[in-house]
Amino acid sequence: MSGGKVDIKVVLLGKAYAGKTSLVERYIHNRFLGETVPYQNTIGAAFGAKTVTVNNQNVVIGIWDTAGSERYEAMSRIYYRGAKAAIVCYDLTDKSSFDRARFWIGELQKYEQGCQIYLCGTKFDIIEDNPDLRTVSERDAHALALDVRGENYETSSKTGKDIDKIFTKIAVDYLASKTAHKNEVDADIVELRKHPKKHLCQGCS
Amino acid sequence: MATEIREAEQNASVSDSDSGQSDFIETNEIPGKSSNTLLVANDSFEDLSYAELNNTIVASPMGTINSLVKKKAKRSLSLPEREHVEDTVSESEVDDSEVETSEICDDSQVDMIEARVTELSLQETTSQTADAQIPHLMTNTDTDYVNSPEWKRQKKHIFILSESGKPIYSRHGNEDKLVTIMGVMQALVSFVADSNKDTLRSIVAGDHKFVFMTRDHLTFVGVTRGKESTQQMFLQLTYMYNQVISILTHSTLTRIFKQHRNYDLRRPLSGAEKFFDNLLNLMDVEPGLLLTSVRCLPLDSNVRDIVSQTIAQHAKVKDLVFALIIAQNQLVAVVRMKKYYLHPMDLHLILNLINASESFKAAESWTPICLPKFDAAGFLQAHVSYLDEECQTCLLLLSVDIEAFYTLSECKAKIQERLIKYNALAAINNSLKRNSYSIQQCSISDLRHFLYKSRSTAQYTSPELEAPYNTKEEKERLFGLYYYLHDRIHTSGRTLKILFHVGAYETLLGWVTTGFELYAVFGPLVTKMSAIHAVNKLLRWIKKEEDRLFILSSVTF
Ligand SMILES: Nc1nc2c(ncn2[C@@H]2O[C@H](COP(=O)(O)OP(=O)(O)OP(=O)(O)O)[C@@H](O)[C@H]2O)c(=O)[nH]1
Ligand SMILES: [Mg+2]
Repeated sequence: MSGGKVDIKVVLLGKAYAGKTSLVERYIHNRFLGETVPYQNTIGAAFGAKTVTVNNQNVVIGIWDTAGSERYEAMSRIYYRGAKAAIVCYDLTDKSSFDRARFWIGELQKYEQGCQIYLCGTKFDIIEDNPDLRTVSERDAHALALDVRGENYETSSKTGKDIDKIFTKIAVDYLASKTAHKNEVDADIVELRKHPKKHLCQGCS
Repeated sequence: MATEIREAEQNASVSDSDSGQSDFIETNEIPGKSSNTLLVANDSFEDLSYAELNNTIVASPMGTINSLVKKKAKRSLSLPEREHVEDTVSESEVDDSEVETSEICDDSQVDMIEARVTELSLQETTSQTADAQIPHLMTNTDTDYVNSPEWKRQKKHIFILSESGKPIYSRHGNEDKLVTIMGVMQALVSFVADSNKDTLRSIVAGDHKFVFMTRDHLTFVGVTRGKESTQQMFLQLTYMYNQVISILTHSTLTRIFKQHRNYDLRRPLSGAEKFFDNLLNLMDVEPGLLLTSVRCLPLDSNVRDIVSQTIAQHAKVKDLVFALIIAQNQLVAVVRMKKYYLHPMDLHLILNLINASESFKAAESWTPICLPKFDAAGFLQAHVSYLDEECQTCLLLLSVDIEAFYTLSECKAKIQERLIKYNALAAINNSLKRNSYSIQQCSISDLRHFLYKSRSTAQYTSPELEAPYNTKEEKERLFGLYYYLHDRIHTSGRTLKILFHVGAYETLLGWVTTGFELYAVFGPLVTKMSAIHAVNKLLRWIKKEEDRLFILSSVTF
């Protein structure tokens, strides 16, 4: 999967255990392994890609599934840099993961203004079975999404609820913005190729 | 049964022969010898002397990555935007307000230390008096936990704690419940350090050995009733320390504690517990860590050449320092940047990373990893992917360019395509299926098992574990024999060259020369002469097979 072939870079951010990897697994491989395979935290970040067809156009979505473990926080920018869309995940059954979502939104607003935010409450099937387990209200999430002119989704990787919907929306938004700013976008591409930005690993000295 | 063995060992006849290697084997015939260095081979077990282990400054090159990056900057035409990978731990998240729970290093409590040692030795007998003396130190749940038979039954405990006695990791049980016991350990260490200006290295209590190592504000403690010597436990603790560095880098670790002595290191290490667990499990079954060498997957040398040449050709990208293929904890091929070598201890951390992470099997990954022997100060970026459907053959591309993912991803695709085309992946898979080799193939009567390390290449080979060493207990016992033999040969004042040891169930022969280390296990009735005759035959066999068992050429980009 070469970077050159990817049309939209999408990054998943959120607290460890929020369900990012499961969401990508559902979207790319249409499967959910949570019932048979124990939780495996992501190391660093994993990359996957999928082609969607919107308005008869093929769009390649490149997805960066980042690790939620805190130690990667400082280097998370190398994963979300240049992302057109970010799916900020929180676990509907874990209040602290919503606070973590706020944190990621703050980071994106600070460093990656060109990135559209899609807020995503995960594990909907659990609160569907037992509404008492919900810890983040739809209203709060909706308000946060409005703040960033984004939308809030409530998904389940187990049942597949609304997963495709997010990615389709991302592709549609991308195409819309592309036609709206066609000239600017083209200019951007030339710009990038002329001055390849190099970011160097300096270690932590 | 355990006691019987011990008795047998006491009665064992040990002979120490000074006869040089020339009596037995010609130098240029050393199996697996190569002047084409691939791995750093200069270290032997003796290098890990107490002096080095005591040294709080890591004796490793710092700034290798930086110099590579500088080269890169020079090369680049446009002025590169230099971006430091920021502190792993940002100021805001550091919880400075925490107060230490107990001032256990207090002089007034020194008296109780002795009493606690009994407690520490994990024996059934709980010291009631000690508990009574310091009720504020030990809560009931703590005591119950530490006294639970399940916890005490464990053969080996490994703990990591901070200088202020905060629990960071425990191999068995939840470190949260071990606050008290870790406090006691830290008290022991600080007491010896403060009062005697000395360093606590080990305590022997009954059949338990306690080994302590302090590095960079961290205390590593190993408690074992196995066969490991103090020195060997040190080595294991050093691997644990290296694992911490591998996750955080040395720079981050020291900075964290410089700024906040009480910092809870479990936060940046969360999600990394599995690396410690897995590393410790590996140490119990994988002799390569003890021998600071790695095992190669047996492979026809022309297949191996194809593999390394393919990598060298299709991963010829700037800033790529190492490219390696590993399969089931064995090395298949390594290609390196000119002038840079992989240290076997670093390689074991890489093997551990792959071994412990199921998540790499799902998708191509891009993750930072610090290799302490290569450069403890910074991270390399690793592109990790599997080349086959079954996720057995793993390709790692280690670069200093954090933006290289897509480039490396293309390299991976090309390498994969070629390796399939040349049937090399199939050959790797076949080798994996075939197992390594049976001791029978060496056709040496009475030889049951052996470990052979080629020192110049830092690689080792050994046959499959077969009967009688196919049960968990027997495997452990065999490992214990190797620990014993290795220790006797390396740490009894001076390095012995040859050691012949008659035990209750088997006879051991250890033989160390400048070129190799050989540890052989025979049936109990073998004589010294026939054993020496047998290992010579064995060396000839390994020599014959060396192309398959070792990587003898070193390929660079
Ligand atoms: N019932 C249910 N469980 C889920 C769902 N999504 C994820 N899980 C479970 O939640 C746990 C964490 O999921 P992951 O997808 O691995 O979480 P993550 O966000 O990738 O975690 P990190 O990689 O550590 O950042 C796993 O045990 C999943 O099986 C869901 O939609 N429904
Ligand atoms: Mg994940």
